[in-house]
Amino acid sequence: MATTTSTSTSSGTPVQARPSGSLHLDNLVKQYPGGVSAEPAVAGIDLDIRPGEFLTLLGPSGCGKTTTLRMIAGFETPSHGSLTLDGEDMVSLTPDKRPMAMVFQSYALFPHMSVFDNVAYGLRLQKLPRKRVQEEVEFALASMSLTKLADRAPNQLSGGQQQRVALARAMVMKPKVLLFDEPLSNLDAKLRVQMRTEIRALQHKLGITSVYVTHDQDEAMSLSDRIVVMRQGRIEQVATPETVYRKPASVFVADFIGRANFLDTSIEQLAREADGARATVRALGATYTVPAHDGIGPGSPVCLMVRPESVVLAPAPDAREVSGTEGRVLKSVFYGAWVEYEIETVGGNVTAVIYDPAPGDILDPGTFVRVSFEQDRAWLLPAED
Amino acid sequence: MSLDTLPAAALPAAPPPRRGSRQGGARMDTVTKLVITAVVLILAILIGYPLVRILTQAFGAEGLETLRNIATSSANRAVLLNTVVLGVLVGAVGTAIGFAFAYAQARLDFRGRKLLHLIALLPIVSPPFAVATAVITLFGRSGLVTNKMLGLDYNIYGLTGLTLVLSLSFFPVAYMNLLGMLRSLDPATDEAASSLGANRWKIFRSVTIPMLIPGFASCFLLLFVEAIADLANPLVIGGDFTVLSSRAYIAITGEYDVASGAAYSLVLLLPGLLVFLVQRYWAERRSVVSVTGKPSGNITLLRSPLARIPLLTVVLAIAALIVAIYVTVFVGAFTAILGVNNTFTLANYRYVLSGIGSDAMFTTTILALIATPVAGVLGMVLAWLVVRKVRRGRGALDFLGMLGLAVPGTVLGIGYALAFNKPFIIGNIQLLPALAGGGAIFGGALAIVMVYVIRSMPSGQRSGIAALQQIDPAIDEASTSLGASGLRTFRSITLPLIRPALLSGLTYAFARAMTTLSPIIFITTPQTKIMTSQILSEVDSGRFGNAFAYCTILIAIVLGVIGLMNLLIRDRRAPARVN
Repeated sequence: MATTTSTSTSSGTPVQARPSGSLHLDNLVKQYPGGVSAEPAVAGIDLDIRPGEFLTLLGPSGCGKTTTLRMIAGFETPSHGSLTLDGEDMVSLTPDKRPMAMVFQSYALFPHMSVFDNVAYGLRLQKLPRKRVQEEVEFALASMSLTKLADRAPNQLSGGQQQRVALARAMVMKPKVLLFDEPLSNLDAKLRVQMRTEIRALQHKLGITSVYVTHDQDEAMSLSDRIVVMRQGRIEQVATPETVYRKPASVFVADFIGRANFLDTSIEQLAREADGARATVRALGATYTVPAHDGIGPGSPVCLMVRPESVVLAPAPDAREVSGTEGRVLKSVFYGAWVEYEIETVGGNVTAVIYDPAPGDILDPGTFVRVSFEQDRAWLLPAED
Repeated sequence: MSLDTLPAAALPAAPPPRRGSRQGGARMDTVTKLVITAVVLILAILIGYPLVRILTQAFGAEGLETLRNIATSSANRAVLLNTVVLGVLVGAVGTAIGFAFAYAQARLDFRGRKLLHLIALLPIVSPPFAVATAVITLFGRSGLVTNKMLGLDYNIYGLTGLTLVLSLSFFPVAYMNLLGMLRSLDPATDEAASSLGANRWKIFRSVTIPMLIPGFASCFLLLFVEAIADLANPLVIGGDFTVLSSRAYIAITGEYDVASGAAYSLVLLLPGLLVFLVQRYWAERRSVVSVTGKPSGNITLLRSPLARIPLLTVVLAIAALIVAIYVTVFVGAFTAILGVNNTFTLANYRYVLSGIGSDAMFTTTILALIATPVAGVLGMVLAWLVVRKVRRGRGALDFLGMLGLAVPGTVLGIGYALAFNKPFIIGNIQLLPALAGGGAIFGGALAIVMVYVIRSMPSGQRSGIAALQQIDPAIDEASTSLGASGLRTFRSITLPLIRPALLSGLTYAFARAMTTLSPIIFITTPQTKIMTSQILSEVDSGRFGNAFAYCTILIAIVLGVIGLMNLLIRDRRAPARVN
């Protein structure tokens, strides 16, 4: 944060005396024309994005995440609702007047300009002195290790380099908010992981509020301070990556983030404790006490989420049939670092993942095993209707 | 995503516009609104008002009488039938020639392929009479080939001559379209068919041809419209074969019956518009040519002599005919009367280059030079609005611009004569002085420039739209997001990116303006002499030598100006670090 303040004081604009970039979305709705009956693309979004926060909008395609981002940027006009940045209304401003910069999926570099001119474009629009532009651009290029490529044309660069230029072009503006529209989805897997780390490091250093749209949960988990999971234009959950993974708000979230077994069960006993609710349930032929969603009442329909890696398998040498806690291996796939099993149990088929299997420990299909799970890692949540 | 797709991602032609249709989601800025208003107003004056005048005349008392006549009188019905027959013939023959040339160009390997390409494009830059007069000189009643060489008494005037001349004049359009389609066909489909056991002939029949059907349909319709709209050739080589355009011309210039003229041209306008609509909105949508931008593999060229020899024979024969026609024009310009008195003379050029001729030359060139940039810029702005700015009503806006092309020249000319021969007065206030005709301001030059603009603008619009659709809308948004206003983005991002399209649009606009005849005939004045209408009067009075001289000069001017334009607006893609 200290770096932002010191560099921005030299710009002569008095606006950035304190770290800012507090974005507030209030009941934001986007309804595309095409009939009243049509579902709105975004159906009422409330969000408080804190200064310097890295927030990810995550969801399947068509969930409204990109539309939300484009409303923040100003490329779409909300049908209802308000959008303020540090208390200032944004909806009435055209995109070019908003103190935000966007990084695009297709990079959107200007093909007729050199790398240098691409990065300098926004600064020149602000009529900054030539020397200042030169310094700022060179600094931005250096921080993205692009100095040597300054005179190249965008089509002479690799995909990763192009994305760096796009990042430098947005960052050099020192916007209050950085917007990312699936910026890494055109890169190959390895490069994607590398860029992920770089974006996170840079954002940390500059402390710019960032809103990031992706459908890649790995990206969301590794980058975000908080994740917003969206579905059909609505927010399903806003929470830290760990909470979203361990305590998903709905079956949809649990299913979308990571993989999950959903076991039918009913509550035998429910207790509210200081760190949340706990319920005693029967599942897979045994009784467990598991953490539970706050919205669950004693009689409400529930569903028990067990992540594959929380499933515990033990030898069952005497078992001859699927009953009680005993199940049978149906499928066994070796992935190197882990083995994945599909196991037939009394509660249906269960997926189990065992990390770092010892040589010779891999179970063959047909083997009987005792199936249980680590009860503190399970999660009881309202059943989907 | 694997490594071999990376170079594609590095190309400037970004992925196909994903959210192009959602562009209008954002609020329009004031500048954009002003631009839209201005463009619509300009189009309303240039094309809307003249069309309205045609309609009011045609549906006036006298006009209705003529319309009724067209339906009842057998003479008029014959004219109608002639027009349709001519359109169908030219559409079919022209498309066939265009396809033969395109297929040879794309799938055959032979020496002189580049030369053949240039020969096929020759008719585009030629003035409207060059082909017709040369064909008459070669194949007419006392033609060099038919009479002098073969001793035949052959009558080229009429449907045969018209079909030949119009097909040769308009086939380059079909050639260019089909060549583009053939080249963008993914060779992988051929390979797939071949790996499934199809031989070359089977592939041609079951893969290539079906994929080109929308292209054939679209070419046929384009040529149909061009053929029925043409006026110059029916006047020169039509003989007794009267079509609607020549009938309208006779009504207005011979019978001084403006209302009938308007009525005939209305009948001409309807199929023109209909075909245009079908062509634009059906054929284009049906196109199955996949534009992935990255053909996977190479096309296998056709080697079998069984296919090569007949195709090459046909193509080369037609190419030879085209060359013969242009040689005739060139030689004829230096000959007293080609075929009758073959003595070398400079008299034709002397006639053309002094007095009336030089007047017409300068006036035409200057008016075309004024109209070209206006048409080019207007076309680009319109394309920009259609692709990027307007969402609701973009189709209507696009159509309004394309009207200049869709409306037959004869109709446009009559509309202009009706609309602008008198001052435009509402109440007691004169809003516009007379723009066309004898008493008009600038000797009617303004109306001619207006015709040039509206006639040539659609080519700029089309190439602009094609170019803009290649540009990822995110590039515009990136500029906006960095703080650039709409106008600024257009100036520093969009315009540089569509520069090549602008250039080709301008080139075509200029060539089109210089060679436009049919609308000009109706509004030209004694003070403002236009080359094409001068050529018409030379041809009319049988002075072919002078016409040939005019034609060569016209071609020279067009080629010269196009060359100059290429030099002036060079493709400045190479990025220069401006610092």
